[in-house]
Amino acid sequence: MRMKHVVSILALAACTTAQAQAATTIRVHYAIPTIWAETQEILAEEFMAANPDIEVVLDGPAESYADGVQRLLRESVAGNLPDVAYVGLNRWRILEARGLTQPLDPFIDDEDFASMGYTKALRSLGQYNGKQHALGTSASTLVMYVNPDLVQQAGGSMDDFPTTFDGVIELAAKIDALGDNIDGIWVDRHDWRFQSLLGAHGGRPMTADESDITLDSEAGIAAATLYKRFAEEGGMKSYNDNQARQAFPAGTLGIMLESSSLLTRFTEAAGDRFEVTVKSLPLATDDVDSVYFPTGGSAIVMLTDDDEKQAAVWKYMQFVTGPTGAKLVVENTGYAPTNALVLEDEAYLGSFYEQNPNAKTAHAQVAAHAGPWYAYPGAEGVAVTDLIAAALVEVTEGADPEQTMTELAQTLRDRLGMSN
Amino acid sequence: MIGLSRRARDGLTDLWLVGPASLALLVLIFVPVVAVAILSFTDYQFGARTFNFIGLENYKTLLTDPIGRRAITNTLLYVAIVIPFSMIFALLVAIGLHGMASWAAPLSRILRAAYFLPVAATLVAMAIAWQMLLHPSIGLVNTFLNAIGLPGQAWLSDRGLVLYTLAAIGIWQTIGYNMVLFLAGLAAIPGHLYEAAACDGADRQWERFWTVTWPMLGPTTLFVLVVTATNSFRVFETVATLTKGGPAFASDTLVYALYREGFVYFKAGYASAITIVFFVFVLVLTLTQFGLLERRVHYR
Repeated sequence: MRMKHVVSILALAACTTAQAQAATTIRVHYAIPTIWAETQEILAEEFMAANPDIEVVLDGPAESYADGVQRLLRESVAGNLPDVAYVGLNRWRILEARGLTQPLDPFIDDEDFASMGYTKALRSLGQYNGKQHALGTSASTLVMYVNPDLVQQAGGSMDDFPTTFDGVIELAAKIDALGDNIDGIWVDRHDWRFQSLLGAHGGRPMTADESDITLDSEAGIAAATLYKRFAEEGGMKSYNDNQARQAFPAGTLGIMLESSSLLTRFTEAAGDRFEVTVKSLPLATDDVDSVYFPTGGSAIVMLTDDDEKQAAVWKYMQFVTGPTGAKLVVENTGYAPTNALVLEDEAYLGSFYEQNPNAKTAHAQVAAHAGPWYAYPGAEGVAVTDLIAAALVEVTEGADPEQTMTELAQTLRDRLGMSN
Repeated sequence: MIGLSRRARDGLTDLWLVGPASLALLVLIFVPVVAVAILSFTDYQFGARTFNFIGLENYKTLLTDPIGRRAITNTLLYVAIVIPFSMIFALLVAIGLHGMASWAAPLSRILRAAYFLPVAATLVAMAIAWQMLLHPSIGLVNTFLNAIGLPGQAWLSDRGLVLYTLAAIGIWQTIGYNMVLFLAGLAAIPGHLYEAAACDGADRQWERFWTVTWPMLGPTTLFVLVVTATNSFRVFETVATLTKGGPAFASDTLVYALYREGFVYFKAGYASAITIVFFVFVLVLTLTQFGLLERRVHYR
């Protein structure tokens, strides 16, 4: 009896070691645990259940995408990069520029890939110079959060909500007139928000080959003028992002243009005070095909150069960006999916959208107009985004939009080394 | 061991005692400082494989670029506000509490703890409290101002105001610490000096302060000055949590710029140059203070 016991333990031990040897372990890096921690656990569990020969180990998460990229760079200097990483959609090119990301093209069969829900627009989020370096894992675009109570008090209607910027500004002015502590509208003076308003006018921040800045184009000046009008007509205060994110749920701000990823947070923060409602951003051009909304969120990149690990990582990447993964991401984070199958096929998220009409509005906008969040090339690429923000501060405080954007574009060309 | 003289053995003991700490200092402080100094002459990008030496280019940018210069002037202005106010208020509070200790000891202790609270509390948590208080439309400060008929201000998002708001928070945060130091200094003043001053006819509060308290507090004041100066030069947390240097760089300071350039923009070479400039500032300031004040400080 005793002998038998020992044998069975030995057999069991042998069995576990054999399994442990067979397993490929992949290390996964992610950021923003407040949004992602649970989702990452679920994704890893579900993936391992489907692929028992691969073990997923989650690194301790970074606090933000900015911290995450810093950590990855440090780890690359120290030689202990994880095998695969979730990074901000606007940050994977920092890794790409340093040769840390592995191109995914060898793994992708273009035709099959499209039929698996990776549309051209969605693939564009992770492409640079014709190479696929990243796959989107979650998406968000700029939407309008509206306080229906204030709209009603101002004599507006939620059913007949304005679909042009002129109409929105007019409504904002009426809301602003409701009281000293009530503001009409607010949008952050920030690169991504500006790119969104620019995209709504069909404009782009740069030429397609990234050789010249086009912020001083007609669309660029029109987008900057919106900021000026928001401030002068719509009662936009000079809040920073935190202040505005406190004011809106408190019920003192009528319309807030913010990332669709904040939906859950706003809905919870507003609680019973009012029913947070999402409206899609107005399009300010007749040429609807030229409209794009820069897409925030996260992408997944492959970092390992080991063949065996690459194969395992690719399986993992396909899983988390495929319909099963995308469904889990949407249900758990509030981000929009980056796989077209889950949007087309109601079997995946039909009932979720029925319960969350706000999410449906936001996600439909992503599906219709998702586009890359342009990162400016070169060493000064991140630094210039703060110059754009500073120029928008000038505009909201009364500077002339055309002159400001012309000067800004010239400054950016100098800083980015674009001869013009 | 036998062959060594007593002197040599003593020498070895000294080396053994001072060695580990010196080595740690060398490896952990001096080597990184030298590395940073070298990096400041390069265009190194965080995480990049290569870099080029570009001479004094980074320093030139820092001193000529409007944003770099703004960070320097903002820091100097911040320091110029925080040092005098936090020291004067801390001294007043300390004298008050020291006097109060003789007739209302428990109250004095409670107030002392209250003044010290901002020092003990986590600044990031405090910053969130400040953010709520200073909110332009729903904050307590503006609500109060409106109630008494004054216009509210955009404390943290008005470009002309934001640096002064941060300085006020800096003063609030420093008073408690300085107060404790001054209290220790006050407690160390021997009572017989006041008696002697009284014999010489200096028995009014003001005279007692000028003839005894202030001269005897000299060493403490010097210490407080140096600590406050270096601390306010290092202002970072409030900037990072409350304004991120904005709006439009209006509250950018040297250390925040250093962080931004190095860890947000990944321009490690430029950030190193800022570090060296910051280091030189603090060094010069400290040496001047010691040089100027040491001679005039009254040590017992």
